[in-house]
Amino acid sequence: MFEGVFTGLSTALMPFNLMMVVVGCFAGTFIGMLPGLGPISAVALMIPITYTLDPSSGIILMAGVYYGAVFGGSTSSILINAPGCASTLVTTFDGYPLAQKNQAGKALALAAYSSFCGGTVGAIILIFAAPALASVSLSFQSSDYFALMLLGLTSVAAFSGKGQVIKAMMMTVFGLMIATVGNDVITGAPRYTFGQMDLVDGISFLLLAMATFALAEVMMTIMRGKMFSTSETMKPVALSSMKLSMSEVKEVAPTVARSSVFGFIVGVLPGAGATIASFLAYGLERNLAPERLRKMFGKGALRGLAAPEAANNAASTGSFVPLLTLGIPGSGTTAIMLGALIAYGIQPGPRLYVDHPDVFWSVIISMYFGNLVLLILNLPLIPYISRLLSIPPQILNPLIIFFSIIGVYLVSFNTFDIQMMVFITLMAVGLKMLDFPMAPMLLGFILGGMLEKNLSRAMVVSDGSFDFLWNRPLTFSIMCITVIILLLPGLLNMGRRLSSRLLSAAD
Amino acid sequence: MNLTKDRFGGLLFLLLSVTYGYYAADIPLLPGDKFEPFHAQTMPYWLSGLGVIFSVLLIGLKPVQATENESLSKSNIVLMLGLMAFTFAFSVALPWLGFPVTTSIFLASSYWLLGERRPKMLILASVPFALVFWLLLTQVLDVYIAPARIIFWLE
Repeated sequence: MFEGVFTGLSTALMPFNLMMVVVGCFAGTFIGMLPGLGPISAVALMIPITYTLDPSSGIILMAGVYYGAVFGGSTSSILINAPGCASTLVTTFDGYPLAQKNQAGKALALAAYSSFCGGTVGAIILIFAAPALASVSLSFQSSDYFALMLLGLTSVAAFSGKGQVIKAMMMTVFGLMIATVGNDVITGAPRYTFGQMDLVDGISFLLLAMATFALAEVMMTIMRGKMFSTSETMKPVALSSMKLSMSEVKEVAPTVARSSVFGFIVGVLPGAGATIASFLAYGLERNLAPERLRKMFGKGALRGLAAPEAANNAASTGSFVPLLTLGIPGSGTTAIMLGALIAYGIQPGPRLYVDHPDVFWSVIISMYFGNLVLLILNLPLIPYISRLLSIPPQILNPLIIFFSIIGVYLVSFNTFDIQMMVFITLMAVGLKMLDFPMAPMLLGFILGGMLEKNLSRAMVVSDGSFDFLWNRPLTFSIMCITVIILLLPGLLNMGRRLSSRLLSAAD
Repeated sequence: MNLTKDRFGGLLFLLLSVTYGYYAADIPLLPGDKFEPFHAQTMPYWLSGLGVIFSVLLIGLKPVQATENESLSKSNIVLMLGLMAFTFAFSVALPWLGFPVTTSIFLASSYWLLGERRPKMLILASVPFALVFWLLLTQVLDVYIAPARIIFWLE
């Protein structure tokens, strides 16, 4: 393992790769600050640039952007009460009230320190957990992979929130349907190409990611009229001192430690991701806090800010575990990274640890550097980076659209792809207006090919029978977890209804 | 039964799933494939079935919570559609007018559509940007970008 760590360290320490971490963190912070554009959009916008780099540098850049975007999202949550992404929504609960109390500097510093600790704890656990899981997963068969992918897809849907489970499942199916467009992965038979040569290779992952996340988000911002908003809340508050007192550090230290470990564990679960981790960590800290401090939650509690920040960063690191070891993304952002790795010709999974140790370890090591960069360089520069937000929206939005479309065009040099993007963006906008989540669709699309391949192999091996689902203990266990996760939201909902009925009957 | 946002989405998805399943029959199979446990049509048929099941569930189930309709002004929807039209026009014009000209026109017209009226800003934020970006691609990154077809056409 230590040989691998040194390989990763030497790759990550290469001046060019260090530069990629710094550039990624800066670019991510800036994009993440823009309300509406989160880590998924930020990473999607970077893909065309990474195609010109070698795999290690490309993934290091994307990892830096990921961290930067989460940090940028926290900054806009604290300064203008507008979360850049869902995972920093909880940050607004106590971050913005702190900023209103003229403690914006302190809030930003606490967010950065908590994120750093969360990321550090996450990176340390990752160093030990990832190789262990990778070596175990070498014995996985196609039926296990199929079950794991099903678990990933259902987890994303199950954790989508109240009333969203069926919609998320539908979007997963929709993503799987889009993945079938083009020549069949097994027989080469054309499917849903309707005689169009441009569709023979299927729909490009980059095109879909850019259209559904970058372009569609900009269009939604324009449609909601947010770019013309002049409300008081959108004006950044002034920064104050960034120093934390010793007593404040003592108060938040246990919170940060707890939330970091908790966030990592939640992040490892396929589909759970940073948003769920931040909400759960906030709830946990609120319940653990003494009565006096509990009342402060939502009014500028330091613990209330530290918990989600540590948890979402640790979860971001944790979501790399299933990606790097099993080839199954744990979140929408890692789903995009999976697509990028596949485009490089690298198949993430248990063999990645053996075949491409430089990529495997350099990503893990560079994550830690990313956290360092955020703390040392980005935090002091926040007042200056936030000035970039003053670029007029009527200039900024067309530029984002331009970068999105040109990014796709420069990969294929086919203008049909831009036309396809327009079509998919309009479709995504329509789906967003109907409250359909986009991340399950992208995950379904990315895993579609692999899912079909593994299902086909398992079916052929079992001679067309479905007994492969329960013949192997591992496959059966994963399938059981999948069913439990799928039924969990419904069961919890029923339990809540039952308890409220019992309470009302008792009254 | 009211036609809520969810039910409308469910109906659309039902239509999509049925159409998807219908066209699955058009997928060509290799000789003998029909006797295989898994072939090119298998996954599409299963997905179509799953799509129908989920759509019916969404249409039939009682909504968990009434979702409020987002208030979107007509003018903003027109702006969005305008930008999409410009993007489409960009893709059509790109091979004919070349990268710098098409990009400059696309950016300037998008700025204008979103409310930028200062001529100086419209030109400065589009033409130099397009030229610098084009030079960066062709001279620094060594990316080949085809020249405008109109040049050959005029010759």
